[in-house]
Amino acid sequence: MASDSSLGNTNDGPPSPGENVSSPIENTYSSPAALHRRRRGRSSTPTQFATPPPPPSRLASSNSTPPTSRPSAARSKGRNGHGGGGGGGGGGDPGTPMSTDEPLPSSDDGEEDGGDDTTPTFVWGTNISVQDVKSAIEMFVKHFREARENSDDLFREGKYMVSIRKVIEIEGEWIDVDAFDVFDYDPDLYNKMVRYPLEVLAIFDIVLMDIVSTINRLFEKHVQVRIFNLRTSTSMRNLNPSDIEKMISLKGMIIRSSSIIPEIREAVFRCLVCGYFSDPIIVDRGKISEPPTCLKQECMTKNSMTLVHNRCRFADKQIVRLQETPDEIPEGGTPHTVSLLLHDKLVDNGKPGDRIEVTGIYRAMTVRVGPAHRTVKSVFKTYIDCLHIKKASKLRMSAEDPMDVDNSLRRVDEDVELDEEKLRKFQELSKQPDIYERLSRSLAPNIWELDDVKKGLLCQLFGGNALNLASGANFRGDINILLVGDPGTSKSQLLQYIHKLSPRGIYTSGRGSSAVGLTAYVAKDPETGETVLESGALVLSDRGICCIDEFDKMSDSARSMLHEVMEQQTVSIAKAGIIASLNARTSVLACANPSGSRYNPRLSVIENIHLPPTLLSRFDLIYLILDKPDEQTDRRLAKHIVALHFENAESAQEEAIDITTLTTYVSYARKNIHPKLSDEAAEELTRGYVELRKAGKFAGSSKKVITATPRQIESLIRLSEALARMRFSEWVEKHDVDEAFRLLRVAMQQSATDHATGTIDMDLINTGVSASERMRRDTFASSIRDIALEKMQIGGSSMRLSELLEELKKHGGNINTEIHLHDVRKAVATLASEGFLVAEGDRIKRV
Amino acid sequence: MGGPAYDCLTNPLGAVRFSFVNALSSGYDPASSVGKDWGVVDLFRHYFSDESAISQVPILDSSSIKWVQPKTLVRFRGMIQDMLGNEFYAGAYKDDSTWRTNKYSDVSQFPEGSSTEIQVWERRLLYCVPVPGKNQWTECSSQELKNRFLDLTGQNREKRVRVDEEMTDSMDSSTLEAGRNGSPFKKMKVGEATSSASESQVPQTSGIPPATSADSLPCLVKIYDSPESDLKLNDVVEFLGVLTFDPIVMMDTDTLDENSDALSEAESVQMPSGKVPRLHCLIHRKLETQHFLHGSSLLPEPKSPQIFKEIRESLMKYLTGLLGNDHIAAQFLLLHLLSKVHGRVDNVAVGKLSLNLIHLNKESMSIFGTQLSGALKSLLPFTQSIPLTIEYLNTASFGPKKDYGINRLMPGVLQIADGTHLILDETELQPGTLNSVGVENANLLKNLLECQKVEYDFQYYKMEMATDVQMLIFSEGKSNIMPADLVLPLQPSQVNSLEVITPETAETWRCYLATCKSLSHSIGQELQQVVENDLVAARQTDRSLGSQDLSRLLTMARMMSVSYGETTLSLEHWQMVLELERLRKERLK
Repeated sequence: MASDSSLGNTNDGPPSPGENVSSPIENTYSSPAALHRRRRGRSSTPTQFATPPPPPSRLASSNSTPPTSRPSAARSKGRNGHGGGGGGGGGGDPGTPMSTDEPLPSSDDGEEDGGDDTTPTFVWGTNISVQDVKSAIEMFVKHFREARENSDDLFREGKYMVSIRKVIEIEGEWIDVDAFDVFDYDPDLYNKMVRYPLEVLAIFDIVLMDIVSTINRLFEKHVQVRIFNLRTSTSMRNLNPSDIEKMISLKGMIIRSSSIIPEIREAVFRCLVCGYFSDPIIVDRGKISEPPTCLKQECMTKNSMTLVHNRCRFADKQIVRLQETPDEIPEGGTPHTVSLLLHDKLVDNGKPGDRIEVTGIYRAMTVRVGPAHRTVKSVFKTYIDCLHIKKASKLRMSAEDPMDVDNSLRRVDEDVELDEEKLRKFQELSKQPDIYERLSRSLAPNIWELDDVKKGLLCQLFGGNALNLASGANFRGDINILLVGDPGTSKSQLLQYIHKLSPRGIYTSGRGSSAVGLTAYVAKDPETGETVLESGALVLSDRGICCIDEFDKMSDSARSMLHEVMEQQTVSIAKAGIIASLNARTSVLACANPSGSRYNPRLSVIENIHLPPTLLSRFDLIYLILDKPDEQTDRRLAKHIVALHFENAESAQEEAIDITTLTTYVSYARKNIHPKLSDEAAEELTRGYVELRKAGKFAGSSKKVITATPRQIESLIRLSEALARMRFSEWVEKHDVDEAFRLLRVAMQQSATDHATGTIDMDLINTGVSASERMRRDTFASSIRDIALEKMQIGGSSMRLSELLEELKKHGGNINTEIHLHDVRKAVATLASEGFLVAEGDRIKRV
Repeated sequence: MGGPAYDCLTNPLGAVRFSFVNALSSGYDPASSVGKDWGVVDLFRHYFSDESAISQVPILDSSSIKWVQPKTLVRFRGMIQDMLGNEFYAGAYKDDSTWRTNKYSDVSQFPEGSSTEIQVWERRLLYCVPVPGKNQWTECSSQELKNRFLDLTGQNREKRVRVDEEMTDSMDSSTLEAGRNGSPFKKMKVGEATSSASESQVPQTSGIPPATSADSLPCLVKIYDSPESDLKLNDVVEFLGVLTFDPIVMMDTDTLDENSDALSEAESVQMPSGKVPRLHCLIHRKLETQHFLHGSSLLPEPKSPQIFKEIRESLMKYLTGLLGNDHIAAQFLLLHLLSKVHGRVDNVAVGKLSLNLIHLNKESMSIFGTQLSGALKSLLPFTQSIPLTIEYLNTASFGPKKDYGINRLMPGVLQIADGTHLILDETELQPGTLNSVGVENANLLKNLLECQKVEYDFQYYKMEMATDVQMLIFSEGKSNIMPADLVLPLQPSQVNSLEVITPETAETWRCYLATCKSLSHSIGQELQQVVENDLVAARQTDRSLGSQDLSRLLTMARMMSVSYGETTLSLEHWQMVLELERLRKERLK
């Protein structure tokens, strides 16, 4: 609290505090002469410096001064009567000169001393009238109401009167005042406060005391004001000499805090000879003047007074070092630090590692060369006298999920707060017509090609809207993506990149993950013996992306855990007496190698991926990344590399958005943008879906191919929502839906192409067998049946499979493709299951 | 400004004050200027506009500190190791209605409390150390200069100083100052005595690189009027400015209670001025290799390819000899020596070319390795070598780490200046267990090789700093810890005794390397097509070629081209590169 701004008497002191200007440090002292300093009241002239006795209490004096500048008070009262909050200063009022930028000429300070008792209405060195400020503050405290409160409750008490009453009730010691409120009410007061915080805050305290004592005469504590939420926030790097003695606010991370230091505020001395106790002596500028002689008239012994520690009063003090957050450090620089001085209740408000926003007064003090030296160096030590500390809110720390408490894995960049300027930049960015392209270009710019894969990943980053219906049904908004591809197609790099980018996420490798490692496991606490839940990767990446590399190498039991996570978004545990369902609203990004390490184009996708179809269907997009020898691609790569070497390398990078911006962009969009489907888009979605389903029934075909399932329409909605989010648009437009369809189609064309017919076939993914394949088998089985009916008797002689194959080939008419022995076997197995025939090794028999 | 009424060399502060008075008379207002330069920088820049004037200024190092007078002009060449933030100082004050300035000096020259108006200005503090791995040849010439300077100034120094002081205002307490500082040598002794006490409290991290050991002299440089982006961490800079010692011997560290310790910037506690001199920087410039070269600067521009060719041939011959007549290895070594990062796209550092020479065992290493590192020391300005033993990996701190206890960045082995050459000797590596430190160090090395970035540990977060280091790795098999760009089996045919080279030859070769490295490079339209076609063809025949391999080919082409002093790639050089690559592939089989 404006450290030396008075009011050390926190508990039982008399209500009129002396001016205890305490310097924070023993072997340094704030020398008023050393700085161009505007000490409040009259305590600032060099002569004062030489004469230790504390100046008359500022409180008393300013109370006793005749109210000279009533006009301005009346004016602001009048203005206030209209209920208006804002209203700039100016207005030709001679009593309140506004915007006192420059201190008055220094000649002032000479006179100031003499004019002590006449009209000490100006803050030293300025032309700010103490009375003006005082009445303005009074007005503010008494009459400020928040804007949203309607005029009908004009008779309600002001916001801060309410809080004053509250403070009195709970016997609190301070009132938090939002600087925005001050600005809204009286911009001029705000400016004065920021420029001359020492003086204005002292007056503020006095006003509070006055008000408090009118409400409750017996209230003895000193209520102090704590300003927070300044309109402008400085960065540590930009602090400069002109900020000294100004109120500033800045953000940073605590890196070190000292132990709590008891600082003496009132000293009591005892005479060693007669045992007389002196009155409490108040600390003045970090010094206590020890009485040279016993104060008792009868004793008067010289040099007999000794300090009685346990009758002195101490206040808490702590010194904390604050360091810049990584995002403010320019390239090639090291982080700056600044010291904070915390007093009383602010002590221990943060621990190392915390990110805080501090409001305080920037101070500088001279450094004495040594404790015994009076000479000072020409350098100053700077520190911030803290008024208020706010812990930075975490961007993704919503109170709803308890798992977030585990913050050891929280990333630094997660709780980046957006200031207005950044926000504006983002808005601008989002308005650009090619934002989608730009974002996808900025995603892993060093990985070539794979544009559509990148777009899919981008959708995953932004995510769709999760929907909770009143009926209890949940629709996930997270998009799951599977990448299947040949080795060396930079899948893992993509994964790593997404992991780095996603605001929160875990990277695991399938090979090393067990089921419990992914979900959650129950462990016994070694010390207490209690069973505790430990979160696994999926739970930890709640609201993030869980990247699983080598998905195919994962054990089946581990994979089966994913079923629940990927659709229900929860992890259920029932073991060791713990039955719990944990949130795991995570997007899964998995990558796998084809089963035969290289993709075999002759086999079906399912056979290549070799994953259970139930799991596959839960992926919204499945991309096949195949390394096709393609001269065109190679040429582009070659061109790129040549350009990299011979042109200005940075120019290629220019368009891309850097990774930190991208991360914050994504975080912001995820948090703040919740797009809804426009009617047009909904229509398009229905139309497209119907078309997609129709696509299976191409002309003249009786084959029933199911091309799309309801799961796909959900995916489509999610994708189009993600696309709208990229534009910061609250509405999903038609072109978003179109693009979503395109993405799905691109992914499907690669993964769900039926190699027999070349059409999109979702059955391939859902059941592992394509419709045409099924049809082929059916035809097969029926022709075998025909042959069997023709050639074999019930219970008659058996027939070799090879003979059957020959027969089939002869018939050949309705089977146009090549027939293999294993096809025959399969068909025979089908017939056997029907009970039509019996297979005995290589021979079949009709039953 | 007329003829200088002061001696910039021996009384720079006089010059500062003189120009301040001048500036005041022409309307300079200290109250509103926030300490902006009033013409001092121009004055000194003008004075030291040519190399010969600069060479008159003594270079501050551990030997010259003994005789250099405080408050005179010195030069300091070093690497910015840490940035200590900004410092506020009483820049100008009014003394009986005349403004005086404290700029470029440490001590407040006013009696306490006598001045009523003080302007607080700010300056930046940089902690600089001699460049790690600096080689002997970069300083020998300055040694001569020092002697010359000492002789020159020794005689008239005293007189000159006295004259200057009389000339400058007698109100100025600098006379008193100078008197107190009369014997800096003695002062230093005292400073050292106390500093050793305080130093013992500073937790020393093990494995501090040899370069920052006892005999190297760090320096606290105070920067005025320079944009922040101008000087970056690990830059190699020459600072020219006023040398000062704090007039007061450091106080006992015992008397410091925790209270003041926590608030004070700690640098005074850790850096007693006797040990760490202060330099108030007037002008500074970034140093390139050519600044270390003695006589001439760079070779003539590419106009004379013949000269380049001749030097290249002689250097090639030398390198081939070093490598036991392995011509191909020498070719690659030369390309490697010319590499430098000249662009970064995302995580790719374009232009790096690390070389891994394999098929070396301990015996052959003792022959070729030592010869080679000796040779490189005489060719390159900064070289370092790291022996990769399990023990070293497990104990040394590679990455710099911030120590919040003393608020300093503790240097790590890998905090090195751009352009440093690093030899990593893996032949010493025995099977063993790496502890967590060792694993981290190995990761740092790998990251350095792959991305040319070093992670700095700030405890609460890590920051990656871009570096530009040439790395040469010796190993028996292909190094897996450190994946180099080029892997080449060394096939020496004979062992040559170390050839003695004359200083002139060495100088020429240094000059050649520096010149080639600084050459720009481009490619013609036609050849671009050829290169593209070749790359596509290469990839069509060998699918395992990644973008990194293609990128490496182009890097090699660039080096090949500049090694002949040419700035555009020619077909001939491109084909030479392809041929080299083919030979290398053959050897690997």
